[in-house]
Order: sequence, then structure tokens, then C-alpha cells
Amino acid sequence: MNTNRRKQVNPVQLSSLVRWLLVAAFIGASGLFFVYIKNQQFALAEETRQVERRIASVRSQNETLLARVTKLSSRGALQQRIAEGFISMKPIQDNVIARLTAPAQAQADGVLRTAFNEGIRQ
Amino acid sequence: MRWTARTRTGLACAAVALVFTAYSVRLVELQVAKHEAYSQMAAEKHTMRIVLHARRGLIFDRNGELLASNLPVSTVVADGSHIKDPAPLARVAAPFLEMDEKELRAKLSSERKYIVLRRGLAEEKATALGKAMRDANLRGIYFEPDAVRIYPNGQMLGHVLGFLDHDGTGIQGIEMSMEKSLQGRDGYRFIEHDRTGREIMLYRGQEEPAVHGLNVRLTIDMGLQAILEEELDSAFKDLKPEMAVGILADPTTGEILAMTNRPCFDPNHPGDGKDEQKKNRAIIDVVEPGSVFKIVVASGALNEGKVNEKTSIYCESGAFAYGGKILRDHKGYGALSVHDILVHSSNIGSAKMGLLMGETKFYEYVKRFGFGDRTGIELPGEVPGLLRPPHRWDKLTITRMPMGQSIAVTPLQMTMGMSVIANGGKLVAPQIIRSVEDSDGSVVSNKPPRVVREVVPQKVARFVSEALTGVVGEGGTAQLAKIAGFTVAGKTGTAQKVSPNGGYAPGKYVVSFVGYLPQENPRFVCLVMLDDAKVASNLNYGGLVAAPVFSRIGERAARYLDLVPSLRAEPAGPLALRERGKDELTP
Repeated sequence: MNTNRRKQVNPVQLSSLVRWLLVAAFIGASGLFFVYIKNQQFALAEETRQVERRIASVRSQNETLLARVTKLSSRGALQQRIAEGFISMKPIQDNVIARLTAPAQAQADGVLRTAFNEGIRQ
Repeated sequence: MRWTARTRTGLACAAVALVFTAYSVRLVELQVAKHEAYSQMAAEKHTMRIVLHARRGLIFDRNGELLASNLPVSTVVADGSHIKDPAPLARVAAPFLEMDEKELRAKLSSERKYIVLRRGLAEEKATALGKAMRDANLRGIYFEPDAVRIYPNGQMLGHVLGFLDHDGTGIQGIEMSMEKSLQGRDGYRFIEHDRTGREIMLYRGQEEPAVHGLNVRLTIDMGLQAILEEELDSAFKDLKPEMAVGILADPTTGEILAMTNRPCFDPNHPGDGKDEQKKNRAIIDVVEPGSVFKIVVASGALNEGKVNEKTSIYCESGAFAYGGKILRDHKGYGALSVHDILVHSSNIGSAKMGLLMGETKFYEYVKRFGFGDRTGIELPGEVPGLLRPPHRWDKLTITRMPMGQSIAVTPLQMTMGMSVIANGGKLVAPQIIRSVEDSDGSVVSNKPPRVVREVVPQKVARFVSEALTGVVGEGGTAQLAKIAGFTVAGKTGTAQKVSPNGGYAPGKYVVSFVGYLPQENPRFVCLVMLDDAKVASNLNYGGLVAAPVFSRIGERAARYLDLVPSLRAEPAGPLALRERGKDELTP
């Protein structure tokens, strides 16, 4: 009887068990890795979205400032500032002008004419 | 029947297999058979197509001065399905949107998915509102990028630049004529969003980037434009005409350097201007050109050999009976040369040259000078003027048209007609677009100057040009057009104003002066035209009203362009003369 009972014992096949455990562990690890990668992707995508938003915001601020600068430096705005006395215009001194054509001279009426031909006047 | 272990095992396996098969069938049904339908449902719920707005191109002058740009703003929209409680959201958003809280709450209470709350909200306010909502942990209000067009110089050059309608489409001026280049092409992107409405970047779908509009560079020089505007504005205030037009052009290339009209409007607020203020009269309005037109008959008669430099034409002592009517000169002249006919602006001399040429030949020269046809400038709404063919002329037309009656032309046509004489006999096509460029400044297309035709040989043009110098000289009709240091050539025009009821309006005149300098090598041709200036009618002549304005513009333009004078300057002379002319004109 003892012999028969001994015959019915099914021994655990360690090698097979280890192999299946490895397969299961591999599949489990693959799954976890997949989830990890997917999370990484989502995190990076969110980061990209934030960067895109920041770029759009900076670009928009840049354009707003450009528009403001253009407006403030427009002829109308500058002329208004001259009229209000914020800025004034002075004739450029002769000694700091490099010219290809004849230098400017004021006429008898006191009006400065840059187109005045000094050579002819002499 | 006995249930053996094998049978039981078999049944259990079959049951499990059946369950799995059922699941599999369902999966196949969902994934394969109903794939399209469910994909569609998912897409409708989570996928949306967003528009990537193209930026409208900028407009520059020839030196790179910005004339039209874009100001980013936001369109504020709400999604009613994302709003649980509209009250706190309305409380936070109302001050930023400058709306009444109650009104906003009512709008936010709707279940609609797309509610436009405010258009054109300044970018700073939109950013601040977004932050305030995040801080209060609220959602349901979103911002769509948009832009408004701004013209930093306000009224200056408004007629040329034009403006946009509420959809951002150009409806006047360069904005309209260059719409295709300026507008660009909107792109799109398919995105998926979560239930809070935030984009899931990972599932970003098909995308086509926006193609931004191209920049347009004009031939306009804002330095000259400012001079022209200032002087014309001053004349408009002093003389109170119904309208005034000024054009500065390069006679060699046909480039328009400056162009303005009065009355004018601000393209930043086009709704505030009346329709009359928005008309670019330089190309839309037609007038009888008056004596300026005498250059056509003189050039034609000389070129056809009907007259020469030495020919004398008897001017009938100021009264010439023809076709049952009497044609008069403002002063009685005897025999005049072609040169003197132009200098003294004799109507009778011009009419006789017209008769010598004959209707067909004269008509041919009128056409060759570009009258009766659109110039083809890149501005919308240009009219060709009114020029009837010879078979529709009456008996008097051949004596009236040489002195600028029985024909209607645009101020731009007059300017280009004078350019023919200034540049040595060639009709050049006017152009206002210098180039079209991409955002890096690389030229995509440019337009070289185009000579339409040779109207008269250089010799003839030079002779007429010399005569036009006499117009500004002693005894000429436009002494007030003189500019110190330069030889100026030009022609006055004084035309009776056509009445809307037919005939001419008594005591009303359209006066003009078209001239150029330096006469030897013209750098610019300038037209000044004033319609019904409020001056004493015996002083309402082109030589007294328009010529001084031309002189002031020409002098400042010459200084701006740094032209080297060719004449000995006469200090204070012309200036004093011009100022005197101004005083005399005060009604």
C-alpha cells in the first residue's frame, strides 16, 4: 500500500515551474513597462502642451508689444509728442554730418535748406 | 448515466469555452462589425477640429516703416456643458470682460456648447482672466486667438491702405487689392480632449499648419507722404475746398511716392467716417482737367509736324468764333508760338492746334497719353475717366478738348500724363506695390517699372518741358510755383466745375497744378488739385491757389530728397511771393 501511495505522488517539476514563473514575470514586467512608458508619454505630452501654450503666450505678448511700439513710434504719435513738448528736434551739427552732397546752410530768411547749393552761392 | 470525471471536465471546459466564445463574439462585434459606428461616436465626443489662424501680412512703406500690423486679441467663448454653477464664474469673469454680472450669469446658464461672450478682448485681460479662473478652480470659459488690424499712422495714407470688414477681409485700398497675398491660409488640427476639455496631446491627430500672409512693401515714402499730407491739410483748412487731392510720383519708374485726399478718415475706425470721406479721389473721382490738358495737344501737333518750334498761331486777340460759339482767352493775344501758347495758357492757340491735328489724330494722342483707360494701379475702384470717341463728338469738341473740357480724367491720369513730358516721352504705368515679401524679408515677387508706350519722341517732350518751365517763369501763369534753387516745370489747370444738374456750376472751379523738378532731370512729379476753394472767384486759378501749395510741397520734398539745386538761390524771393499769394487768397 505504501508503495502504491508513493507511486501516486506527483513531484513538483521545478524547472517547468521556474520557466512559467519567468514567463509570467516577463509578461507582468512587460505590462508594467508598457504602463510606465504610456505614463511617460502622457507626462511628456502634457509638458509639450504647456510649452506650446507658453510659446503662444510669449509670441502673443511679443506681437502686442510690437504693435504698441509701432504705435508709439509712429509719425503721428511722435508729432504729437513734439507738439506737447515731450521731445524736441534740434538741427544736427555740421561737424557730425558725413555728406556726399553739398552741406546745408541757412538762408537769409533763417530757414535751413539742406538742399541749398553752397558752391553756387559762392 | 454516470458522470465520470472526464465527462464533468469536458462539460466544465465547454461551459468556459462557451462563455469566452460569447465574450469573443461580443468583442468582434464591437471591434470589427461596429468599429466605424463606435469610432464615429468616440470622435464626436472627444475629437474636435481646431483652426490654426493664419497671421495677416504686414504692410510697409519703401523704407520699411510699418503701416499696417496686427494686434493679438482673444475671442472669449463659454461651453455651457462644462459649467456646473454659473454664479461664481460670472462673479470672477465679469470685471475682466467688462460685462454686467447678471447678464453674464444669464449667458453662462445656457446649456449650449458654444457661447460667444466677448470679441476683441485685449491679450493682457485674457491672460489675467485665465489665471483668475485657475486660482478659483473654475472652468467653462475659453479663449480663441484672434487679431485686430491696426494702422499706427491713423489718418495718414488711409485711402491707400484701406481697411478690413468684421470678418478680416480687405474691403478697400491695398488691403483689398492685395487680399490674396496678405490673408494667408488658416490651418487646422484634429485633437482629442478629456472630459474637462483639455487637449490630450498624445492623441493629437492630422494637422496642417497655417500659412501666414505675405508682407507687402509699397512704393510710398512716408517722409514724402507726411510732407504732402501736412501741406494739403493746411491748404484744406485755409482754403476750405470741397475736396483736395495730392499725388507725388517718380516720373521715370511710375512709382507713387505719396498720395492723399481730403476729406479723409481713420482706417482704425472706418465706421466713424462717412462714405464721402473714404473715397480715394485720386483714382475714383473724375474732373475736367482744364489747361493741364494743353500739353497733349501741343505734344501731338509738334510730333505730327502740324506745328514746329517756330510756328506762330494767331490767337484772334482773345475771341475766336467757331461752331457758332465764341471761344475766349483770359487776355487778348496776337500771334503766339507753341511755347508761348503753353506759357500763357491760350485757349484759342490750343484749339487751333487741335483743329490742325484733326479729330482722329488728336483723339489718338489723348489715348496715347493714357486718358480714357485705367492706369492699372494696384488699387481697387479705379475708373477710366470719360472720353468719347470722335464719331460722338459735336462740332465744338475739337476746340474744347485741347483746353481740357469735354473730357473727364482722374487726378492720377493727369499725373501720369505729365510724367510723359517729364521722363522724355514715355507713358509709364503707375505702381504702388514695390514687392511682396515673406516673413523673413525674402522677396517673393516684385514688380519692375513698366513702360506702356512711347507717346512722343524725346525731342518733342523736351520742347514741351522747356515751355512748361516758362509757365513757372516771368509772365507765366504759375509764378507762385517757383522753388528756390530749382528749375520747375509745370502747368496750371482751372476748370469750371460741372454741375450735377447739367452744364457748369457758376463761380465754382476745380483748380490744379501739375509740375515736376528738377526740370533737367526730374525726380518727382507732383499734382495738387482743389475743388471749389473758398476764395474770391477772380482769384480762383490754378496758378494762384494750387501752385503755392505745390511750391511748398516741392521745396520740402527737395530738401527731404537732398536734391542738389541747379540755380542760384533767390533768398526770400519765391518764399515771400508764395506767402503773398496765400494772403491774397484769403476770402
